[in-house]
Amino acid sequence: MGERIASRPRARTRPGVVRRVCLAGIPLAVASVLSCGSPPADTHQPSARIVSLAPASTELLFALGAGPQVVGRTRWGVDPPEAEAVPSVGDGLEPNVEAVAGRRPDLVVFYQSPANAAAMEQLAQLGIRIVAIRMDRLEDVIDAARELGHATGHAARADSLADGFAAALDSARADSGAGPRRSVLILSWDQPPIIIGGGSFQSQLVDLAGARNVFGELTRPSAQVSIETIAARDPDIVLVIGGGTGTPDWAERPEWKVVRAVRERRFARVEGTAFSHPSFRALDAARLLRRALEAVPQ
Amino acid sequence: MRRWTGLAVLAVAALAIGVLAGPVDLGARDVVSGLMGRGDPVHVVIVRNLRVPRVLLAFAVGGSLAVTGAVLQALVRNPLADPYLLGLSGGAGLGAVLAITLGLAGPWAVPIAAAIGALLAIVTVYRLAVVAGSVLDTRVLLLGGVVVGAFASAVVGAILALSPAESLRNALVWLLGGFDGASWQALGIFLIYAVVPIAVLYRASRPLDLLSLGEEPARFLGADVEPLKRRLYVSASVLTAAAVAVSGIIGFVGLVVPHAIRLVWGHTHRSLLPAAFLLGGALLAGADALARTAFAPLTLPVGVVTAVLGVPVFALLLRRWAT
Repeated sequence: MGERIASRPRARTRPGVVRRVCLAGIPLAVASVLSCGSPPADTHQPSARIVSLAPASTELLFALGAGPQVVGRTRWGVDPPEAEAVPSVGDGLEPNVEAVAGRRPDLVVFYQSPANAAAMEQLAQLGIRIVAIRMDRLEDVIDAARELGHATGHAARADSLADGFAAALDSARADSGAGPRRSVLILSWDQPPIIIGGGSFQSQLVDLAGARNVFGELTRPSAQVSIETIAARDPDIVLVIGGGTGTPDWAERPEWKVVRAVRERRFARVEGTAFSHPSFRALDAARLLRRALEAVPQ
Repeated sequence: MRRWTGLAVLAVAALAIGVLAGPVDLGARDVVSGLMGRGDPVHVVIVRNLRVPRVLLAFAVGGSLAVTGAVLQALVRNPLADPYLLGLSGGAGLGAVLAITLGLAGPWAVPIAAAIGALLAIVTVYRLAVVAGSVLDTRVLLLGGVVVGAFASAVVGAILALSPAESLRNALVWLLGGFDGASWQALGIFLIYAVVPIAVLYRASRPLDLLSLGEEPARFLGADVEPLKRRLYVSASVLTAAAVAVSGIIGFVGLVVPHAIRLVWGHTHRSLLPAAFLLGGALLAGADALARTAFAPLTLPVGVVTAVLGVPVFALLLRRWAT
């Protein structure tokens, strides 16, 4: 699995959405896994035809063994590779309702967002069952897996995977080291500087990799800050998630030279969908991240 | 004279606040020793390499936008004119988004592409508005600006809809404007492009007074109207494109500051333009300081702050003027 993570193309959909929502100033709910529109899951027959409108839920459905039931996906961030064979219905945010309905689903899994409210309502009126899921933190994967497992007739497998992941997460936390942690700036964009805060699973990955997010105290997934703040927090390493290697272009700009880690070119770079949305692959991602961070000299 | 003193005090205060205030809590003593290059080296670089160039750039850009707005309002004789009216913001946006879509590399790729996009939009609008060989029709200039801007925005919309890259959304955040890219280098580049247009616009103060009466009266009173209009348009455009390159698109300053000055100062461009420069600069430098500190460590888009600070004041002025 590790190799696959390393070679995946850069996936952009989920964090972009998260960022867009929080840039729009909508506070992010702490409770992230929500369902709506329909009565509780266990009163339903397991769904036979599923359209998944978020890369993270598509990946989860395949992990639960519901892959053969998935008849529609979004066009971005396809994971696992088998999902490529599923027809795309376009975008996951503000989806094309007609294209979704055209796949004749009995269950549509949405990304929980105000932008999707109208589409959820329209599809619910067609008698299609709606589940809306939002995963910001690693723990959200556990609840989402259980909910999707029950909805798709894979409850037993979902429960066992969820339990296993929860246990692995706990022990990884315990193992991540009690010693001094190097401080990491997770930079999402350079101008204006947008950083990843403690509310994101990416910050949790940094913790699991034995380091510490310099903006870990922020409860939001991402935030716009000034270079001055970054310079004062003086991170040991700048982590860039996404394509590319070596020193990023923006690091050549004079205003960034104020930050010691940029001046000393202390960059770690990782890419792959395991870093763009929370999933069962998070612990593999944390191991890759640990290696990438350790490659930066002390 | 008292008004000039007041404006100068306001400008100096905005510059001082810009250097003293920041998300990192430095006392006045830290700031002064930082300016001297003494004390904690982190404080020294924060003050010397971040705050000082940033506040100077914000002041220069704010002043330039206000001057450009004043000139364009007189040129097209429309109170709604602002520096971005003539298709410039659409062109800049298209340039920035294209630079990211095409994966243009380099630390300055996005700003340079935005400036080139802005200049291309300006040239297109200019070509549209020059009729019968050499006459620059300001009505066509306005409409041409609107359609060129709308077309560029439509192309940006199409690229955004078809592309998954979150970096494109970030390009739009970049366009919202701000001074996170401020450095001595950026300030130097901006001044290189700004000094000549500002001088040209200031030298045109007297003919601008005539032009704001209308083209016919201006011609009658001896202004060489056609070359004047072209000179004003080109200078204002180059100035705004340079501002876009270093700070994105910052609304409000160029629209409202000239009106505010006209309401208290009158319509003579020889005093209107320098006063607009000082007020625009002070407003933007002060707004940027507030944007950096109000919710530290988070920052606000500076355009939001200029509007929040400026709109109530302007509304009061309008009210006074109406009664």
